[in-house]
Amino acid sequence: MSSPAEWHVDLLEVAQKCVYCGYCSLCPTFKELKWETYHPRGILEQIRMYFSEGVKESVQVEVSKSLFEAIFACTMCKACENICLVDLPLLKVWEQVRQEAFRKGRWNPLLLSLYNKVKSTHNIYGLPTEERLAWANLAGMNMSRRTKKKAPLAFFVGCQASYSGKMGNVAPSVVKILRKTKVNFTILGLDEWCCGSPVFLAGGYSAGRDFAKHNLDQLKELGVERIVTACSGCYRAFKIVYPRVLGEKWDIEVLHITELAEELIKNGKLKLKHSIKEKITFKDPCELVRHCGLVEAPREVIKQIPNVRFEELPSNKHEALCCGGGGLLKLNDSDLVNQVNSRLVSEIKYTEAEIVANGCPTCKDTILTGVKNDNLDVEVLDISELIVRAMEGEK
Amino acid sequence: MTLKKNTRISFTRHLGKNFKDDYTTLQVYSRDMADLPKLVKPFIGNVPDGVIQVRTKEDMQKIYEIANETKVPITQRGGGTAGFGGSVPYKKGIVVDTKGLEYHFLVDPLELTVTINPSVVFSDLQRQLNLEGFSLCSYPSSFHSATVGGWIAHGGYGVGSIQYGGAKEQIAALEVVLPTGEIKRFTDDTELSLFVGSHGTLGTITEVALKIKFDIPLKHQGCTFDSPAELLKGLKYLAEIEPFSIWFLNPDHVALFNELFGYNLPLSYLAIISKEVSFEEEEKEFNTLFNNAIRSSGGQILDRRYINDIWDFRFKGFTLIGDSPDYLVTEVILPIETSDKFVRKLVSRFRGKIHLEGEMVSPTHYALLIYLLFEEKLSEIKKTILTLKLYNVTTRKTKAKGIPYSTGLWFSGYYSRIYGKEQYKQYLEFKRKVDPKNISNPGKVISPKIRFLPIIKLKPIVKLASKMML
Repeated sequence: MSSPAEWHVDLLEVAQKCVYCGYCSLCPTFKELKWETYHPRGILEQIRMYFSEGVKESVQVEVSKSLFEAIFACTMCKACENICLVDLPLLKVWEQVRQEAFRKGRWNPLLLSLYNKVKSTHNIYGLPTEERLAWANLAGMNMSRRTKKKAPLAFFVGCQASYSGKMGNVAPSVVKILRKTKVNFTILGLDEWCCGSPVFLAGGYSAGRDFAKHNLDQLKELGVERIVTACSGCYRAFKIVYPRVLGEKWDIEVLHITELAEELIKNGKLKLKHSIKEKITFKDPCELVRHCGLVEAPREVIKQIPNVRFEELPSNKHEALCCGGGGLLKLNDSDLVNQVNSRLVSEIKYTEAEIVANGCPTCKDTILTGVKNDNLDVEVLDISELIVRAMEGEK
Repeated sequence: MTLKKNTRISFTRHLGKNFKDDYTTLQVYSRDMADLPKLVKPFIGNVPDGVIQVRTKEDMQKIYEIANETKVPITQRGGGTAGFGGSVPYKKGIVVDTKGLEYHFLVDPLELTVTINPSVVFSDLQRQLNLEGFSLCSYPSSFHSATVGGWIAHGGYGVGSIQYGGAKEQIAALEVVLPTGEIKRFTDDTELSLFVGSHGTLGTITEVALKIKFDIPLKHQGCTFDSPAELLKGLKYLAEIEPFSIWFLNPDHVALFNELFGYNLPLSYLAIISKEVSFEEEEKEFNTLFNNAIRSSGGQILDRRYINDIWDFRFKGFTLIGDSPDYLVTEVILPIETSDKFVRKLVSRFRGKIHLEGEMVSPTHYALLIYLLFEEKLSEIKKTILTLKLYNVTTRKTKAKGIPYSTGLWFSGYYSRIYGKEQYKQYLEFKRKVDPKNISNPGKVISPKIRFLPIIKLKPIVKLASKMML
């Protein structure tokens, strides 16, 4: 496993540049675990020890125990990098340390199992490829005429929207929006592979490159000019990671469903006619807002709902709290996910919102668990589901 | 590991997984923002024997009980974000990390106080207060990382101190576990004063009642001055406006702003003045007073376009040192009246390398954060010598009547200079009473008995070492 040169950083050099200001104490998992070995600056201190020249093997082994534990407690939310006063490329650092853990055979078995599942079945659940279109069958949608046909826009469904029952309405909602607005689109169907996001997050670049190449080759074959997705992980993979791992540029524009919806509203094709009486709040997914800088599109779309009652979460946009579900943390410490999530749930509670919308299946899944644990009477919706509700006026 | 077996067993029996003594944890807790120069480390037991994450005050009582029995020193640690060594052990022992203390947040809207656990970080606290329509009165520039308890123990100042005072003036009450194991609540001003700047030497703070205010909007103005003399004259006039904050930068620091953000700010001493303004009339009055102050002091009014951006930058000073291969930082409190010559000398001594950021902490004094930026990585010897030179410049060889910002490890022995002889006497008396075995953060506030500290006394040794190496 090796990372591409443009993604590679000198770990020791980055660690030595840390000014130890501690601003990265906003790290969501450090806030819960509280030991400074989990603090991003503490992790950098461990990197300094682990990678320093002439370090004794016994010291390296000792440091690695704590370092690898800390690195897999990270949700990759990028809050640390965002606030870093000296602009350290922390996300790249964490990913490279995960690669080092892989090299040393120190991934936890669940992570390794996910990695193998994705590699062999091309989806994160290890389910048969034939079931990738189950969402359409369950929603009573015939997608055969839309599958693998030449079209200017492709809807990249993603593993969670394809296979997970909890996300069952996400893909049909996107399709409804596209059909209603008469957008000529296609899907890859059974030829869609996982975007590779979990593999990249685990630090597996060479394997991830295969996914990137496969998906892009498929899209290019169909003459696709734009891709739309409702998953922030897929969005980040296409937008940021693919160009880096493949080292090439291509002419396919990558859109989140909120960006496309905003565009369709602006050019009058999408009309949100029906009001939603419930109070709405929006949880910015880390991968959309901090990784990709997508802030306004979801808000612009929500604003278009007639008589909408919208309230921002206290921590919003670039300062949004992490839901705890990112960075494959669920595989490493599901209790910690719940702990991190409880802070977000408190903020949702503060807004007194009745609907919490988001743009990421992982966030949706984690928030659903959080509100259930808290007995909170809040509906958790993907933004595509919210759009459909405002478009069709049904619940 | 140097803890005796039985001592270790005592700690692990009572603290369980909240006690750690693995190699990595000990190393991570062996420093604060300023890492110790390698040449100094042999004289200081900065690597602890164990780290405890204290969760309750009862835990803290138990820790003191074991520490007293076994004479193991305790060093408390909040955010570990200061650079004075206050949270770094001097004689090894146990670091007590207070970040695990039970969460409290209780606003008293009538008394205008908030009761909190001391481990809360200022930015988190401010966010919670703002949601309820309140605000902190004064807060440190390390707003995003410093803990309330750490700031109090450190005796800090910050944004808003010119109007609301420093850490001391923010406290309504403190709950402290004394080294004797007694849990006591302090509300008397004289007693509270003793805990401010005491770096945990008198006990461990487990709860704080902090004074708060209503969240009133701030309006900002900016101005520039051609020389340190004009700046200091200007600060005097501006302080009369009764602002919330006066924050200033030297021309080299302004140049970095220009370079980093593509601004075109004049290369002069630049000050941003902020005032709480509730009504339009108040804003008009502020503008008039500000214009008059600038006219009287010979300054120039700054282009308004930049002001909010610069104000937003007040917690991000370190951004400017990001590209420097090496740097040194210290902070000193200076009086406006007598520091003109000192600032001029300081700038000329470290010309081209020195960056200054000041914050008025009272109508007569300001805290000056001094950065020395270098274009190459310094050798350990050079770094140690320059550190000593910088400390000398800021504390000893000046008639400016400046005082170190805090004592900590580096300036232990300067307590009476900072807080006065009378308070030092009271401090010593209290210390003897509550910590006769000196187990609560030894080496801080009171100079250690070993002659190597305060660090200033290391200078001849380091000089000799450098000559021998050459």
